[in-house]
Amino acid sequence: MSGQETHDLEARDPDSVVDNSVTAGDLLVILRHAPHGSSWLREGLDTALVAAAFGQRVTLLFAGEGVLALLTGQTAGPLGQKGTHGVIDMLAMYDIDTLMVDGRALKSRGLCTDDLMLPVTLVEADGVVSLLQSHRLVLNF
Amino acid sequence: MILHLLNRSPVTSRVIDDALAAMGPDDRMLLIEDGVSGGLPAQALFFKNLAGRLFALREDLVSRGLLERCGEHVTIIDVEGFVDLTEEANKTVSWY
Repeated sequence: MSGQETHDLEARDPDSVVDNSVTAGDLLVILRHAPHGSSWLREGLDTALVAAAFGQRVTLLFAGEGVLALLTGQTAGPLGQKGTHGVIDMLAMYDIDTLMVDGRALKSRGLCTDDLMLPVTLVEADGVVSLLQSHRLVLNF
Repeated sequence: MILHLLNRSPVTSRVIDDALAAMGPDDRMLLIEDGVSGGLPAQALFFKNLAGRLFALREDLVSRGLLERCGEHVTIIDVEGFVDLTEEANKTVSWY
C-alpha cells in the first residue's frame, strides 16, 4: 500500500468492500477482452505494469469479457501458449492492488466474486462514470 | 467533460453499451470511422440519452455516403471541430 492514498469516504467506512465511493489515481486501465483469444488483455496488463513501475498509481477495471481474466483455474493454451493469469498474480508485486470489477459484467455471465482469483471491488454502472472522472488518464483495452 | 470516441457501429458491436455506461451527464460522444453509421435515423434510439451531446465526423460520413442520410440526433463536425471538442474536454477516452 506504499504511497496509496485512501479516499476519505473509504477511511470513514472500513467495512465497505462493495461500494461506489470514488477511487482516484493517475491511470485507469480498462480491460474488456478475454484471455487467449487476442493480445488485447495482455497488452493492457503490460501497460499497467509499466505505468506502475514508473510510479504511477494504477487502477484496473475489468469490464465486459475482461472479467474472465480473473477466473480461477486458468491454464496455458492447448499449444502451450502462455495465458495472462501469471500476470494477474504479479500485480501485487507492482503495487497494483486496486482491482475493480464491473458488477453488471460479472452478473450477466452468471459469475460471482468467489469465481475470481483475487479480492476485488465491485462497481455498479454509476461507479464506472466516477472512475473515469477521477483518473487523470484512461486507457481502454 | 470527457470526450468519448466510438469507432464501432452500434449495430454490429456491443462496445457501445460499455461506452454509454461509462458516460457522465455532461460527457460527449463523437462517432468516428465505422461508428458514424450511428448517425442513421434508424440508430437514433441507441443514443436517446445523449441529446445535444452526440457528434459524428464529417470526413468519415462523406467517405461512406452517409452525410446526407444523418438524423437530427447527431451534430456533424469536421476535423477542426474534432480538435475543438478535444480542447474543451479534460480528457478523451477511446472505445473500439
